[in-house]
Amino acid sequence: MILPWIPLLALLGVVVPLLTRQRGRRFCSLATAAPAILALLLVFSQVPALLAGDLPRFQLAWVPQLGLDLAFRLDGLSLLFVSLILGIGLLILLYAHYYLEAHEPFARFYSFLMLFMLSMVGIVMADNLLLLWLFWELTSLSSFLLIGFWSHWTDARKGARMALTVTGAGGLALLAGLLLLGDMAGSFDLGVVLESREAILADPRYPLMLVLVLLGAFTKSAQFPFHFWLPHAMAAPTPVSAYLHSATMVKAGIFLMARLHPAIAGSEAWELIVTLTGMATLLYGAWFALLKTDLKAILAFSTVSHLGLITVLLGIGSPLAILAALFHILNHATFKAALFMSAGIIDHETGTRELGRLGGLRRAMPVTALLTSLTAAAMAGVPLFNGFLSKEMFFAEAAASPLLGGLSWLLPVLATLGGILSVAYSLRLVHAVFFKPARKAPPKSPHEPPRLMRAPVELLAALCVLVGLLPVIAEVPLGLAVEAVLLTPLEFHLAIWHGLNLPLLMSVIALIAGVLLYALHAHLRQFGRQFSPMDARLIFEGAVQRLMTWSERLTVRLENGSLQRYMSWLLGAALLLGAIGLLQLPSLAGARPTQEADGILLLGAALMIFGALGTVATHRYRLISLLMLSVVGLVVSLTFARFSAPDLALTQLSVEVVTMILLMLALFFLPQKTPRESSAGRNIRDLGLAASLGMVVASLNYAVLTRDNHGISDFFIANSVPGGGGHNVVNVILVDFRGFDTLGEITVLALAGLAIFKLLNRLRLFMPHSDGEGRVWSPDRYPLILTSVSQALLPLALLVSAFIFLRGHNLPGGGFIAGLITAVALILVYMARGVEWTQQRLDFQYQPVAIAGVAIATLTGLGSWLFGRPFLTSAFGHFHIPAIGDIELATAMLFDLGVYLAVVGATLMILANLGKLTTPHRPSKEEKH
Amino acid sequence: MTVFVLLEGVISLLLIAGGAFIFIGSLGMAHLRDFYMRLHGPTKATTLGIGCMLIASMLYFWVTEGKPDIQEMLITLFLFITAPVTAHLLAKTGLHQKLRHADKTRGKPLELRPEEVGEKPVPHPDRGHG
Amino acid sequence: MLDTALWISLTLVLAALALNVYRLTVGPDMPDRLLALDTMYVNSIALIVLLGLWLNTKTYFEAALLIAMLGFISTVAVCKYLLRGDIIE
Repeated sequence: MILPWIPLLALLGVVVPLLTRQRGRRFCSLATAAPAILALLLVFSQVPALLAGDLPRFQLAWVPQLGLDLAFRLDGLSLLFVSLILGIGLLILLYAHYYLEAHEPFARFYSFLMLFMLSMVGIVMADNLLLLWLFWELTSLSSFLLIGFWSHWTDARKGARMALTVTGAGGLALLAGLLLLGDMAGSFDLGVVLESREAILADPRYPLMLVLVLLGAFTKSAQFPFHFWLPHAMAAPTPVSAYLHSATMVKAGIFLMARLHPAIAGSEAWELIVTLTGMATLLYGAWFALLKTDLKAILAFSTVSHLGLITVLLGIGSPLAILAALFHILNHATFKAALFMSAGIIDHETGTRELGRLGGLRRAMPVTALLTSLTAAAMAGVPLFNGFLSKEMFFAEAAASPLLGGLSWLLPVLATLGGILSVAYSLRLVHAVFFKPARKAPPKSPHEPPRLMRAPVELLAALCVLVGLLPVIAEVPLGLAVEAVLLTPLEFHLAIWHGLNLPLLMSVIALIAGVLLYALHAHLRQFGRQFSPMDARLIFEGAVQRLMTWSERLTVRLENGSLQRYMSWLLGAALLLGAIGLLQLPSLAGARPTQEADGILLLGAALMIFGALGTVATHRYRLISLLMLSVVGLVVSLTFARFSAPDLALTQLSVEVVTMILLMLALFFLPQKTPRESSAGRNIRDLGLAASLGMVVASLNYAVLTRDNHGISDFFIANSVPGGGGHNVVNVILVDFRGFDTLGEITVLALAGLAIFKLLNRLRLFMPHSDGEGRVWSPDRYPLILTSVSQALLPLALLVSAFIFLRGHNLPGGGFIAGLITAVALILVYMARGVEWTQQRLDFQYQPVAIAGVAIATLTGLGSWLFGRPFLTSAFGHFHIPAIGDIELATAMLFDLGVYLAVVGATLMILANLGKLTTPHRPSKEEKH
Repeated sequence: MTVFVLLEGVISLLLIAGGAFIFIGSLGMAHLRDFYMRLHGPTKATTLGIGCMLIASMLYFWVTEGKPDIQEMLITLFLFITAPVTAHLLAKTGLHQKLRHADKTRGKPLELRPEEVGEKPVPHPDRGHG
Repeated sequence: MLDTALWISLTLVLAALALNVYRLTVGPDMPDRLLALDTMYVNSIALIVLLGLWLNTKTYFEAALLIAMLGFISTVAVCKYLLRGDIIE
């Protein structure tokens, strides 16, 4: 049970700095370091178990349906990486304590840093592919925050965005790859995956999976051609560069390749892709490291180059190559982090990172000069430093690799070339900063940094030398890590002297040629200048800009504000899908016989068609069109009644009237007549679309109605009474079976009502003085007869509404219809008596009504939790109420009450407020005279 | 038994009468010459017709189910209250719009006092100013 | 006897509906059309009542009740619109 505490402690570290911010930076730094130190101790406490051959694992089901477990493991590979992450993380914390300026928000920085640490620890300890991916994405996010920490600075924002885009896109590819991998292995459990090598390599989807996983790894580890984000991520504060971009995050891709090595490596495709990509990266990075003049850019490109080196080793894949790769990961992390911190110190103390403005610093900063020289020597692969050992192993493996067949001599040659470049840029770094006389004075007068700021560099430099002199001490952790990758223990011995052999010769050539190359450096730069400078950021930003422009153009084309166009797209799509479905039917008519048409049906159909055509024909005379539309609505509801769907008939009727009133309210502000503005072409388009859609829908209906359908409706009919306690299946479906849908719908309704209410709030519209024919409005605002009768009708209408509501569960009716009836009845009063009069007597707002409705419905649903049932389970019982009849009092009725209130509230919120628009200052006839 | 035959006769009579009134109302609406005449048909004849029909239906279900039901009464009540209001409002609209009228129609819109059709300003009752 | 009466009545109501549509189409003025629509609502009630008698069920009476109520309200709304423009003031 110790394993989960390691990421949990890191998680604690995210919160601690925010909580201790007030106590000063020193306290905050110490408090932040504490959980990390504790986590490191916990990691070390597991070492004896590992040495004894155990594999500490922890597993907790999280989303078992997806195969996602909260599972951690600590094998040799995890141990190596976790120690690196936590150890260097602590050093970085100490360094950052001095690095950040006094005014900078250090607590936020620490918190981001610890978030990143958490995600890295998660990646290397994850025992489940999906969990690994989650943490993988978390590193992308936290590195985005860290790179963009100086968010006032454009470069930082752009660099952060670029890193997020590239690594995020890679992360998506990785997800696809891991899903495929899990599918091939039959589990997302890492242990299972690592042992399913045969099944995975034999799977036909293997190449696709490999490319996707490698895309993820290459983007993260800045492999050519995805390397370009790394130099731009140098806009981050130096501690971030040292931590993320040298020691840890860029190693995540490498880690992934090593982690999955037992499962997916060893195929020809793997060897070719990985080795060649690595080699290209190695040379490309080294070449540009030699040409750059910014200290951090040099280090960034050299990091790219070293990552390429490790990738080559993983591609070669022999046991000793794996050992060399892991050893170089360790060595690179030590010397590169130290170099970055030195660069940060130089930047901090002189105010510049430009080689041209630096020089001769060995007098002002002797200790830093020594430390930088030592670590740079390790980077160059000078004997007696740790870099020499792993680089020589790299040379040996490159020379021994049979890859590329007859061209296999290419690998050692290119490797030596990389070595030469690496010596040259390391030498240049040290010489130009510390030894060459300065041409220009730096912005600040240089001096040594605070003692403790240098301490992490000192420690890492000491490690470089120590491992270089006594490689034996690295044997134990490396042995464990190699065993985790190869799945078998490897007998090996790390030594400085292997005798006079080919790798030694390559090293010697690299050293001598590297020094020569630096001597010719000026010519090289001349050579490099002929090529037009290719700024990756400009290309990237250009690509992003182009993408944005295209999307904008596309959006403008599709979304030009024309409702007709939206409708035509929508209807066109529906037409296409419907037509495709119909084309696949063997015949239009099904097995069911058709009903005989009688006079009523024929007349009804004729009326409906006539009404629809009339609506279209008179559409330029809006009011007539509206009346025609009412005819259609009326006939439709009569049709529903005729074919035994009384609920639909009731709903259709009430919606019809509400729509009519709404349109009437809106028509007041619109011209009475629509000008003729559609071109002939558009008319033909619309006509064609409408006609073909009509034909498709008619055929579809005919096809459905002539077939026996045993869909879900049988279940609803059978279970309505036993399951929902109601005889009205429609209502039971609405409030019980599909209650969750209804809840969503009334929520949307209430939200729409609120939105309309807010939009109309202070709207003032032009109000016409007269109707379309120039007649001044009648002076009689509230006709007396209407006023008195509507008042008498209100209780009657409310009674009808209550009646329909109460009977709803068993007979036609329900909350929705009752709500509309109540709303319409109240609207009648508004029409007859005006807003002022009604508002005085109905002294409440409609927003709370609608919200209360949604709340009641939700609470009813939640109530079933109290009884240990799932959300929205209904309970019911029978009661007999005289005069109304047998009533089912179900909790569904309470739910229906919520629906009722929501409908009343939302409808009145819209209609009454739309009506209110005109009340305060109507330009009536009275004012004109 | 004879009671049932008698009742059936009454119901049938009411149904036919209702249908006839409804038809006559609509016929008038379709056939008569100006709006003021046309208004008579639906508002009087049709209302009477629908009343007959609802009573027929009520009788029928009273006989078949053995107890009277309030629903038809409710509909009848509703229609009898609302029909005059509709007629009144429609007439008001017609006068307001000064619709053309046939020569035979007595009482021309022009004979109405101006304030009744909105020619002269009438003070708003709530505001009390001009 | 009842069946015959039902059929006669049904035919008359359907004929009335057709006449309503005629008036609705030819107008000539808005009040005419509105009157036609209102009559159509009332005639639909008759149709539903006859349907109930024919199928011997009372399921449709809510629909008739609703047509009576809502038809009235929509007629009032249109009248108010023609008279005052603004139906809720």
